[in-house]
Amino acid sequence: MRDNRRTRTILGLLLLTSLTLVILNLRGSGEGARDTAGGFFGPVQTAISSVTRPVSDFFGSIGSLGSKDQQIADLQKQIDELQQQVNTTEFDRNRARELDDLLGLAGRGQYRTVPAQVVASGAAQGFAWTVTIDAGSKDGVKLDQNVVNGQGLVGRVIRVSQSTSVVALIVDATSTVGARVEASGEKGFLNGTGDPRSLELQLLDPFAPVRSGDRLVSFGFEGGVYVAGIPLGTVTDVRGTPGQLTRLATVVPFVDVTRLDLVGVIVEGPRTDPRDSVLPPKPTTTPSAAATPPAAGATPTAGATPSSSAS
Amino acid sequence: MSWLRAALMALLLLTSVMVQLTVLPLLGLPGATPDVVAVTVIALGFVGGPIRGAVAGFAAGALLDLLPPADGLLGLTAVVLVVVGYLAGLLGQSERSPLAAVALTGMLAGGIVLGFALVGGVVADPRVSWERVPGLTLTQVAYAALLAPFVLPLVTWLWRKVDPPPPRYDMGRA
Repeated sequence: MRDNRRTRTILGLLLLTSLTLVILNLRGSGEGARDTAGGFFGPVQTAISSVTRPVSDFFGSIGSLGSKDQQIADLQKQIDELQQQVNTTEFDRNRARELDDLLGLAGRGQYRTVPAQVVASGAAQGFAWTVTIDAGSKDGVKLDQNVVNGQGLVGRVIRVSQSTSVVALIVDATSTVGARVEASGEKGFLNGTGDPRSLELQLLDPFAPVRSGDRLVSFGFEGGVYVAGIPLGTVTDVRGTPGQLTRLATVVPFVDVTRLDLVGVIVEGPRTDPRDSVLPPKPTTTPSAAATPPAAGATPTAGATPSSSAS
Repeated sequence: MSWLRAALMALLLLTSVMVQLTVLPLLGLPGATPDVVAVTVIALGFVGGPIRGAVAGFAAGALLDLLPPADGLLGLTAVVLVVVGYLAGLLGQSERSPLAAVALTGMLAGGIVLGFALVGGVVADPRVSWERVPGLTLTQVAYAALLAPFVLPLVTWLWRKVDPPPPRYDMGRA
């Protein structure tokens, strides 16, 4: 009986403490504690990730080997000897390709980027889409800077410590990006929904002629957070009739946030709006096509394509 | 509680939090991220009883709330994991068969998603979307049930190894 009371007292105290934390945080305090924790644990995450990344990349690449059954059978004898080698070359090649993509995008848009690696991600069941990257204030990263990868916009920096930073992804429910439809120039707000494969576009003009398949780039409002011209995603579905007060469209992001690896922080934006020049050439397979049937995702081109069929 | 066990608890929780943040998201599995932290807290509740379960839950939750890339409400994970650790300690004493323990782990882990959505909903967290709750809960239960056969025996073994239970102390009838 006495012990039962003690149990309840401790439980009550713990609950009270954590609820107090929630309420204090709701009122705006507690962020300092997170900055301190980030300064200490960010580098730890970087260290762990540098060890585990090649291993998990190897496991991640197993899925894409399925179509090469014949080849695997032929090479079965050599696999044991070459296992380690294959593992590392695959890793290097992936990395080189991602760097290429990133360089390409940064070059087309005339952004100056700082490359960074994603070293930790929040759990999906926490509803927040945030990641830690291994670049911080000493690399020139500042609050609100845009983060991209070879495919398009990844998110923006929301917390910076010395050698790591935290990025809120565009699919996070708190994210809003000013968007512009390619060519037609219609403007709207692209909101995250928490779903990693779908964003919601709120069109400013209710009569805007927006169709499924239209592609979006960031608009870069004067005084806003995002620089102009970063590829965002493809419209897959327009809801509501023209003229309705708020017209919404579903958008599939170019970036697969569940498989983020190498990213770039835009530390200096373009001097002039690059308009649509950063978008990839039109007739390639659109991410919307890759997202619906699993079979369509088997193209070996983009790094994000095989994984989008898995999610 | 002996210092060794406290140290073991701290070590297990810190390791599971680091694995949860840096390794498991890389697998890119659909739905929830496999919640090794929850399974570890539940395992500690099973072997240590309700008080230690609740303390473990609080510590793990506070770590997840503080460490980068956390950005939700500070303390939200702690609230939910305190309750889960406590319940694991309370319910884990009557459950003895391994299968029942795995099932219970899955259910408690699934409860985390619901608890998170509930508490988040009460404090008007803009990120909580009920549309995603069923999918997340199902995958969370499945991944937890898959992790449990590995984590539960490991934690139990370490717990006994570090400090064999003294015969005078019956945690179940305390």
